[in-house]
Amino acid sequence: MAEEPGAERPDTRRPRSVYGVGTEPDARFSLANERTALAWVRTGLGLVAGGVALTSFATFANMSGVLDVVAGFACLVGAGFAGYALLSWRRNERALRLRRRLPAPSGLPVLVVGVVVLALLLAGYAVGAAVGG
Amino acid sequence: MSAAPDEPAPGAVPADEGLQPERTALAWQRTVLGVVVGSLLLAATGVRAGSVLTVCAAAAVGVLALVPAVLRPPTGRLPGHGRLYSWSFLVRVAGLVVVLALVGAAASLAGALGAA
Repeated sequence: MAEEPGAERPDTRRPRSVYGVGTEPDARFSLANERTALAWVRTGLGLVAGGVALTSFATFANMSGVLDVVAGFACLVGAGFAGYALLSWRRNERALRLRRRLPAPSGLPVLVVGVVVLALLLAGYAVGAAVGG
Repeated sequence: MSAAPDEPAPGAVPADEGLQPERTALAWQRTVLGVVVGSLLLAATGVRAGSVLTVCAAAAVGVLALVPAVLRPPTGRLPGHGRLYSWSFLVRVAGLVVVLALVGAAASLAGALGAA
Protein backbone atom coordinates (compact mmCIF):
# COMPACT_ATOMS: atom_id res chain seq x y z
CA MET A 1 0.00 0.00 0.00
CA ALA A 2 2.91 2.34 0.66
CA GLU A 3 3.40 4.90 -2.03
CA GLU A 4 6.86 6.19 -2.61
CA PRO A 5 6.73 9.96 -2.24
CA GLY A 6 6.40 11.54 -5.64
CA ALA A 7 6.78 8.23 -7.41
CA GLU A 8 4.08 8.06 -10.02
CA ARG A 9 1.45 10.66 -9.21
CA PRO A 10 2.02 13.91 -11.08
CA ASP A 11 2.80 16.82 -8.81
CA THR A 12 -0.11 19.25 -9.14
CA ARG A 13 0.79 21.53 -6.28
CA ARG A 14 0.67 25.26 -6.74
CA PRO A 15 2.57 27.48 -7.42
CA ARG A 16 3.96 25.89 -10.54
CA SER A 17 6.90 28.31 -10.52
CA VAL A 18 8.09 26.40 -7.43
CA TYR A 19 6.85 22.85 -7.84
CA GLY A 20 7.43 22.75 -11.57
CA VAL A 21 11.20 22.90 -11.17
CA GLY A 22 13.86 20.77 -9.53
CA THR A 23 13.38 17.74 -7.35
CA GLU A 24 11.75 17.18 -3.98
CA PRO A 25 14.04 18.32 -1.15
CA ASP A 26 14.22 16.79 2.33
CA ALA A 27 10.80 17.48 3.88
CA ARG A 28 12.50 18.87 6.96
CA PHE A 29 14.04 21.66 4.88
CA SER A 30 10.62 22.51 3.46
CA LEU A 31 9.17 22.53 6.98
CA ALA A 32 11.95 24.84 8.12
CA ASN A 33 11.25 27.12 5.16
CA GLU A 34 7.57 27.16 6.12
CA ARG A 35 8.44 28.12 9.69
CA THR A 36 10.65 30.92 8.42
CA ALA A 37 7.79 32.26 6.32
CA LEU A 38 5.49 32.05 9.35
CA ALA A 39 8.04 33.95 11.42
CA TRP A 40 7.97 36.73 8.80
CA VAL A 41 4.16 36.72 8.91
CA ARG A 42 4.31 37.09 12.68
CA THR A 43 6.83 39.93 12.36
CA GLY A 44 4.44 41.77 10.07
CA LEU A 45 1.58 40.93 12.40
CA GLY A 46 3.52 42.43 15.31
CA LEU A 47 3.88 45.70 13.43
CA VAL A 48 0.18 45.69 12.53
CA ALA A 49 -0.86 44.94 16.11
CA GLY A 50 1.49 47.66 17.38
CA GLY A 51 -0.02 50.16 14.97
CA VAL A 52 -3.57 49.22 15.92
CA ALA A 53 -2.70 49.43 19.62
CA LEU A 54 -1.06 52.82 19.04
CA THR A 55 -4.09 54.32 17.29
CA SER A 56 -6.36 52.89 19.97
CA PHE A 57 -4.15 54.37 22.67
CA ALA A 58 -4.14 57.73 20.87
CA THR A 59 -7.94 57.95 21.10
CA PHE A 60 -7.88 56.96 24.77
CA ALA A 61 -5.32 59.60 25.71
CA ASN A 62 -6.80 62.16 23.30
CA MET A 63 -3.45 62.71 21.64
CA SER A 64 -2.61 64.34 18.36
CA GLY A 65 -3.02 62.92 14.89
CA VAL A 66 0.74 62.45 14.51
CA LEU A 67 0.48 59.18 16.41
CA ASP A 68 -2.30 58.03 14.10
CA VAL A 69 -0.09 58.68 11.10
CA VAL A 70 2.74 56.69 12.69
CA ALA A 71 0.27 53.90 13.47
CA GLY A 72 -0.98 53.80 9.89
CA PHE A 73 2.64 53.66 8.67
CA ALA A 74 3.36 50.72 10.99
CA CYS A 75 0.25 48.90 9.74
CA LEU A 76 1.24 49.31 6.09
CA VAL A 77 4.84 48.21 6.72
CA GLY A 78 3.44 45.15 8.53
CA ALA A 79 1.33 44.32 5.48
CA GLY A 80 4.46 44.61 3.37
CA PHE A 81 6.25 42.05 5.54
CA ALA A 82 3.33 39.63 5.26
CA GLY A 83 3.71 39.89 1.49
CA TYR A 84 7.47 39.50 1.76
CA ALA A 85 6.92 36.26 3.69
CA LEU A 86 5.27 34.74 0.63
CA LEU A 87 7.95 36.10 -1.68
CA SER A 88 10.83 34.75 0.38
CA TRP A 89 9.10 31.39 0.90
CA ARG A 90 8.87 30.99 -2.87
CA ARG A 91 12.47 32.01 -3.48
CA ASN A 92 13.78 29.70 -0.75
CA GLU A 93 11.68 26.74 -1.86
CA ARG A 94 12.87 27.17 -5.42
CA ALA A 95 16.47 27.28 -4.24
CA LEU A 96 15.90 24.14 -2.14
CA ARG A 97 14.38 22.27 -5.06
CA LEU A 98 17.12 23.31 -7.45
CA ARG A 99 19.82 22.55 -4.87
CA ARG A 100 21.06 26.09 -5.12
CA ARG A 101 22.39 28.28 -2.37
CA LEU A 102 19.66 30.07 -0.42
CA PRO A 103 19.14 33.71 -1.42
CA ALA A 104 20.09 36.41 1.07
CA PRO A 105 17.26 37.55 3.38
CA SER A 106 16.79 40.92 1.69
CA GLY A 107 13.89 41.84 3.98
CA LEU A 108 16.07 41.85 7.07
CA PRO A 109 17.85 45.23 6.52
CA VAL A 110 14.51 46.78 5.56
CA LEU A 111 13.01 45.48 8.79
CA VAL A 112 15.86 46.84 10.89
CA VAL A 113 15.72 50.27 9.23
CA GLY A 114 11.93 50.35 9.52
CA VAL A 115 11.91 49.50 13.22
CA VAL A 116 14.65 52.08 13.92
CA VAL A 117 12.75 54.78 11.99
CA LEU A 118 9.55 53.90 13.86
CA ALA A 119 11.35 54.05 17.21
CA LEU A 120 12.94 57.41 16.34
CA LEU A 121 9.57 58.84 15.24
CA LEU A 122 7.92 57.77 18.48
CA ALA A 123 10.85 58.94 20.61
CA GLY A 124 10.84 62.29 18.82
CA TYR A 125 7.12 62.62 19.38
CA ALA A 126 7.46 61.73 23.06
CA VAL A 127 10.29 64.24 23.60
CA GLY A 128 8.41 66.91 21.67
CA ALA A 129 5.25 66.32 23.68
CA ALA A 130 7.19 66.42 26.96
CA VAL A 131 9.05 69.64 26.06
CA GLY A 132 6.21 71.43 24.30
CA GLY A 133 3.31 70.24 26.43
CA MET B 1 15.88 6.03 12.93
CA SER B 2 14.01 2.91 14.07
CA ALA B 3 10.25 3.11 13.98
CA ALA B 4 8.42 3.84 17.22
CA PRO B 5 6.74 0.80 18.80
CA ASP B 6 3.26 2.17 18.15
CA GLU B 7 4.07 2.94 14.55
CA PRO B 8 0.91 2.05 12.61
CA ALA B 9 0.95 1.20 8.94
CA PRO B 10 4.08 -0.22 7.37
CA GLY B 11 5.55 2.27 4.99
CA ALA B 12 4.36 5.23 7.04
CA VAL B 13 6.99 7.92 7.27
CA PRO B 14 8.79 7.56 10.62
CA ALA B 15 8.67 10.31 13.19
CA ASP B 16 11.32 12.98 12.73
CA GLU B 17 13.72 13.01 15.66
CA GLY B 18 14.21 16.75 15.28
CA LEU B 19 10.47 17.20 15.94
CA GLN B 20 10.19 19.41 12.89
CA PRO B 21 6.49 18.68 12.23
CA GLU B 22 5.65 19.66 15.82
CA ARG B 23 7.70 22.81 15.57
CA THR B 24 5.95 23.72 12.36
CA ALA B 25 2.55 22.98 13.88
CA LEU B 26 3.38 25.17 16.85
CA ALA B 27 4.58 27.93 14.53
CA TRP B 28 1.20 27.76 12.80
CA GLN B 29 -0.58 27.92 16.12
CA ARG B 30 1.44 30.94 17.25
CA THR B 31 0.73 32.69 13.99
CA VAL B 32 -3.00 31.98 14.10
CA LEU B 33 -3.12 33.02 17.74
CA GLY B 34 -1.40 36.25 16.79
CA VAL B 35 -3.92 36.95 14.04
CA VAL B 36 -6.81 36.28 16.44
CA VAL B 37 -5.33 38.55 19.12
CA GLY B 38 -4.63 41.21 16.52
CA SER B 39 -8.20 41.09 15.25
CA LEU B 40 -9.49 41.34 18.84
CA LEU B 41 -7.33 44.43 19.29
CA LEU B 42 -8.71 45.89 16.07
CA ALA B 43 -12.27 45.07 17.16
CA ALA B 44 -11.65 46.88 20.45
CA THR B 45 -10.37 49.88 18.50
CA GLY B 46 -13.48 49.74 16.31
CA VAL B 47 -15.76 49.64 19.35
CA ARG B 48 -13.87 52.58 20.80
CA ALA B 49 -14.21 54.55 17.56
CA GLY B 50 -17.86 53.47 17.12
CA SER B 51 -17.16 51.98 13.70
CA VAL B 52 -19.38 48.98 12.95
CA LEU B 53 -17.48 48.28 9.75
CA THR B 54 -14.16 47.93 11.57
CA VAL B 55 -15.68 45.58 14.16
CA CYS B 56 -17.24 43.38 11.48
CA ALA B 57 -14.03 43.22 9.44
CA ALA B 58 -11.99 42.35 12.53
CA ALA B 59 -14.46 39.62 13.53
CA ALA B 60 -14.36 38.13 10.03
CA VAL B 61 -10.54 38.05 10.04
CA GLY B 62 -10.51 36.43 13.48
CA VAL B 63 -12.90 33.66 12.43
CA LEU B 64 -11.20 33.03 9.09
CA ALA B 65 -7.82 32.80 10.80
CA LEU B 66 -8.92 29.67 12.65
CA VAL B 67 -9.22 27.70 9.42
CA PRO B 68 -5.52 27.07 8.64
CA ALA B 69 -4.89 26.05 12.25
CA VAL B 70 -5.77 22.48 11.32
CA LEU B 71 -3.09 22.19 8.65
CA ARG B 72 -0.37 20.52 10.70
CA PRO B 73 -1.71 18.16 13.32
CA PRO B 74 1.27 17.66 15.64
CA THR B 75 1.39 13.89 15.37
CA GLY B 76 5.15 13.89 15.22
CA ARG B 77 5.24 12.45 11.75
CA LEU B 78 5.99 13.91 8.40
CA PRO B 79 2.98 13.75 6.09
CA GLY B 80 2.58 10.15 4.99
CA HIS B 81 2.17 10.98 1.35
CA GLY B 82 5.44 12.88 1.50
CA ARG B 83 4.08 16.08 0.04
CA LEU B 84 3.63 19.34 1.87
CA TYR B 85 0.85 21.66 0.81
CA SER B 86 1.99 24.99 2.19
CA TRP B 87 1.32 27.64 -0.38
CA SER B 88 -2.44 28.15 -0.16
CA PHE B 89 -2.34 28.20 3.64
CA LEU B 90 0.54 30.65 3.68
CA VAL B 91 -1.28 32.86 1.18
CA ARG B 92 -4.40 32.75 3.32
CA VAL B 93 -2.72 33.67 6.59
CA ALA B 94 -0.60 36.39 4.95
CA GLY B 95 -3.71 37.71 3.21
CA LEU B 96 -5.51 37.91 6.55
CA VAL B 97 -2.62 39.91 8.00
CA VAL B 98 -2.76 42.26 5.00
CA VAL B 99 -6.52 42.74 5.47
CA LEU B 100 -5.95 43.42 9.16
CA ALA B 101 -3.24 45.94 8.25
CA LEU B 102 -5.41 47.74 5.70
CA VAL B 103 -8.38 48.00 8.07
CA GLY B 104 -6.05 49.16 10.85
CA ALA B 105 -4.43 51.74 8.56
CA ALA B 106 -7.88 52.98 7.50
CA ALA B 107 -8.94 53.22 11.14
CA SER B 108 -5.82 55.16 12.10
CA LEU B 109 -6.22 57.43 9.05
CA ALA B 110 -9.80 58.13 10.13
CA GLY B 111 -8.48 58.87 13.59
CA ALA B 112 -5.89 61.26 12.16
CA LEU B 113 -8.54 63.06 10.11
CA GLY B 114 -10.86 63.19 13.11
CA ALA B 115 -8.12 64.62 15.31
CA ALA B 116 -7.02 67.21 12.77
